[in-house]
Amino acid sequence: MKSARTLAIGAVALALLATGCTSSSDEESDAVGGNLRVWTHTNKSFNKAYQALADDYMAENPDVNIEFASFDYDTYIQTLQTSLPAGTEADVLQMFGSWTCSYSSNLAQVPDDVATVDEAQDDFFKGPLGGYQCDDALYGLPQESNVEYGATLVNTAMAEDAGVSLDGWDTYDAFMADAKTLTQTSGDKISRAGYHFTTNDGIAYSFLSLILQSGGAYIADDGSFTFSTPEAKDSLELMKSFVDEGIVDPVLFDDVSNWVGDCYFTEQCAMGLVGPWVVPEYAGDFPDVAATTEYVALPTLENGEFAADSGWGLTTSAASQEQDLAWDFISFVTQNAGNALEWNLSTGTLPALKENVQGDARDQLVAEASYTEPFLDILQDAQYLGSLPDRDRLFYKIIVPNVLATMSGELTVDEALAAIEQEANSL
Amino acid sequence: MAVDTAELDRTTAPIKVRSSGSLDAPQRRFRWLVLTPTLAYLAFFTLLPLIWVLALSLFNYSPRRDGASVGGLGGDNPFVGLQNFQQLFDFSGQSQLAETFQTSVVVTLIFAFIVLPLNLMITLPLAVMIEAAARRLRPFLRTIFFMPVLTSAVAVAVIWQYVLHPQYGLANSLIGRVTGETTIIAWLNDPSMSVLGVPVALIAVTMAYLWMDIGYNLVIFIAALQGLPKSLTEAALLDGANSWQRFRYVTLPLLKPTILLAAVLTMISSFQAFDLFQVMTLGGPDNQTRALSLDIYENAFRFQSMGWAAAESLVLLAIVLLITLAQSRLLRTKWTY
Repeated sequence: MKSARTLAIGAVALALLATGCTSSSDEESDAVGGNLRVWTHTNKSFNKAYQALADDYMAENPDVNIEFASFDYDTYIQTLQTSLPAGTEADVLQMFGSWTCSYSSNLAQVPDDVATVDEAQDDFFKGPLGGYQCDDALYGLPQESNVEYGATLVNTAMAEDAGVSLDGWDTYDAFMADAKTLTQTSGDKISRAGYHFTTNDGIAYSFLSLILQSGGAYIADDGSFTFSTPEAKDSLELMKSFVDEGIVDPVLFDDVSNWVGDCYFTEQCAMGLVGPWVVPEYAGDFPDVAATTEYVALPTLENGEFAADSGWGLTTSAASQEQDLAWDFISFVTQNAGNALEWNLSTGTLPALKENVQGDARDQLVAEASYTEPFLDILQDAQYLGSLPDRDRLFYKIIVPNVLATMSGELTVDEALAAIEQEANSL
Repeated sequence: MAVDTAELDRTTAPIKVRSSGSLDAPQRRFRWLVLTPTLAYLAFFTLLPLIWVLALSLFNYSPRRDGASVGGLGGDNPFVGLQNFQQLFDFSGQSQLAETFQTSVVVTLIFAFIVLPLNLMITLPLAVMIEAAARRLRPFLRTIFFMPVLTSAVAVAVIWQYVLHPQYGLANSLIGRVTGETTIIAWLNDPSMSVLGVPVALIAVTMAYLWMDIGYNLVIFIAALQGLPKSLTEAALLDGANSWQRFRYVTLPLLKPTILLAAVLTMISSFQAFDLFQVMTLGGPDNQTRALSLDIYENAFRFQSMGWAAAESLVLLAIVLLITLAQSRLLRTKWTY
């Protein structure tokens, strides 16, 4: 009996001790303080949204001071390139997900108490998260999904005039038939493209996405590129068929003189492949077209997967003396669903947090920009492009020229795929 | 009149030139004082970058990778010796980078060798005509022709891009008016269009470049024409030479040093042409307008292959030096006026 009482007293004492420890620990984590330097690229809405969240954070933590410095896009890239190796960067760095792994040796890993890789995968879409994950370690948290594929701009007025339904398409045959209906010609030239996807990004994302949707892959298990596959062949043939059917002419509808945003909003294209960010960009100058603009999901093949870049997010410098504070702020901005949604709404971006495409958050996003709704349904299908050795060169110097050469008949599909594979593997 | 021989001796006596070693301390200090800013400027902004480019060209350097402590060279940016240069001249077709570089050299040479004669063929007669115009009209004409030089190259590129736009461009619209049919010609985008083997897109950029650039040489030629001694043309006139003969046998030979200057400057600037290519075509279609400067820029700043770009820029430097040397030899004169 005595020993039982001793045990009970001991247990109570331990419990009290544990409670005391816990409460002491909580007090410590609540009482954060210090100066935090944050670097971002210059973008009016992004900078304003960051400042608003920083103000909220500082209001909750009066001992914290957050200072922002922003750089125009090109300068920011160069500044990161020079300052990270030198260790002179800020504590928190805004980072485009696809850049993260090339800087990971100078970035701090996300601490487990902020998010483990598994937890992050549960919370964030894999498309944006993929960029921040390098060799099974996490180096930052994303704020947006960067999507350039999956849905197409549709001019609803043109569609109605042509009797084209906006309910979507089950197959590419149905889509191409509608695109053909929307195409207008003058002599033997296309004066209005039914579906403009022959920009640099449009070609690259379509090609890679269609490979994924056919159940294929463009990166083999050993990490090499693989394009001489039946899935890649089907994809390229499908893309070429839009040109063969006279729906788009890549000579007239290209990236330089008739980029898809210009083409669509000047009503030279009835449909166009580009991410939803383009709408607010052009709405001011072309309010009438914006008013008759909707996004409609593209048809899918064997599955709905599509290739996507990672998006903007936040990382912490490995050289920072304020890493705990930095991660606390990053968590406040990216993991707190309300804050993350506020940032997405202010910046017109698509959420990276899965929670924010459901319920009230979804309603708010749709109320703010109804054209984004089809994207909210497909964000879970976005597959991160992969940690490519040189993404820009692969896209713009290897995939695009070879696909265009196929479309013009200069190369056969097989020749183009062999060239893409060979050139990509020599990167 | 009496001549002061002593004074004459003083004035005609050879001036003693002291070697720099015989300068006294204040003079030496002053010399270094006035030379230092210029030398520092040259060292930091010319010599150092040149040495840095030379060094970079020997490394597989990208600022994205962690290098060794000395300027990021070494480590993940390894020393490759002359490998970049060897690869630039690899004609096996195995290297896409080398193929693009070789294409860009050809494009640049075609561009420069079209621009140079056309520029001289336009500017020299135009300068003569302007100088022959009524005195009150000349400043107006000079201003009109010089105005494009003052315009931003990017603005010029955008204007020409608009003029040549396939759907709503002025060029197609005018052709449409004449033919009575809707004309859609992709002047800047169609890789299948060429004239005498020269891609139409390259011709279009050349036109824009000439439009922008001729004012510069025009001013040089006008200045040179105004400086020619009138006595020579008047003598030719007295000998019965007609206008063409006076131009061909008097003015043109006298202008040879100016033509050399204009040719060298035009050649160098056309090798450096970048803005028009970047804005009007981005090197397309199918690399038909990929000038060497554009390729260097893209490799250096877009794809971050600084080592490769440095090697390319040294080749560009060598080409410009060789052509300038050849021009100097060809147009050298052994007299002056």
